[in-house]
Amino acid sequence: MTCGEWEERVALYAGDDLAPDDAQAVEQHVAECAGCQVLLSGLRESLALVREAHGEPIESGHFAAVRARVLAEIEGGRARWWRFAWIYTMAAAAVVLVAVLWPRGEEHLALPMPLAPPAPAIARVEELKPIAPAHRASAARVASTEPAETVLMKIETDNPDVVIYWIAESKGETK
Amino acid sequence: MAEAAESPDARARAGDLAEFEALMRQYERLVLVTALRLLGNLEDAKDVSQEVFLRLYRNLEKVEAASNYQAWLYRVTVNICYDIGRKRKPSVAMEDVPDPVSAAPDPQQSLAGSERQRVLQLSLRALSEKERAAVVLRDLEGLSTEEVARTLGSSEATVRSQISKARVKMRDFVERYFRRRV
Repeated sequence: MTCGEWEERVALYAGDDLAPDDAQAVEQHVAECAGCQVLLSGLRESLALVREAHGEPIESGHFAAVRARVLAEIEGGRARWWRFAWIYTMAAAAVVLVAVLWPRGEEHLALPMPLAPPAPAIARVEELKPIAPAHRASAARVASTEPAETVLMKIETDNPDVVIYWIAESKGETK
Repeated sequence: MAEAAESPDARARAGDLAEFEALMRQYERLVLVTALRLLGNLEDAKDVSQEVFLRLYRNLEKVEAASNYQAWLYRVTVNICYDIGRKRKPSVAMEDVPDPVSAAPDPQQSLAGSERQRVLQLSLRALSEKERAAVVLRDLEGLSTEEVARTLGSSEATVRSQISKARVKMRDFVERYFRRRV
């Protein structure tokens, strides 16, 4: 193991960050290695200097300034809320008013429903000539040994615009 | 419920500003000093502290439920410092540090004074943000490696690696500065 490979362990050892077994191994190596002795003393010295440099207390006025800014921000937020509270109140009142005055569901149901036009009454039923099976037979029907007879019915209603043509087979199958 | 309402945290959560101010007093050193060490600038650190405590106020219920203000505050402070730090110059090269020998009439006096202080503080800024956060929390704030790992959301092995690299870089920075001055 070279000194470069020991560097990480020595750096951790300088801050007491090694497990006892690893720490013992570093101590044994450092005792025999002049380069790592210099490294270790340099690490300890710089660590102590940096700790000392950053140990200088901060004046209490700075803490007070931060506190004041935070509290002012919180109170400012609350004040902003209260400044617009009347708007929120009016909006809430408007919602309540609309809810009270809004027509009830039953009233909606009571509205007249649109009605379907009445079905026309049957005025006359007339049986027309039967249709020849050859004119309209399907492939399946052609294959059948006994072709069905087709009947055409004309149904007139009391509405002259409505005439129903009903095509039926004699076996009862409606087309 | 009655017992909860009696705790200062619960009263602060209920909107009692006096109680929240007491909570701030309890943790203000932790937040401001950590931010200062991470950023190296007092005004930025004060901005960070303000933001941290405003977030604490908005999240009091959540933080109280976690029952660990310190861990939450460290984590949020570090994250906000990351955000601010990324907008600033990320690190300080040795060449950027002014040589005080020519300017000071008595180098030894300067060495013992504010210049040395400033250079030692700058040594942290020569580190990457992750290394800086790890070394500040471990070596300056005194957290355990496990606590640092939890705060930074890293593994302990990663934190150990960051700490060792940071210590070596700080040593190099300090030695190069003082060797240059001689």
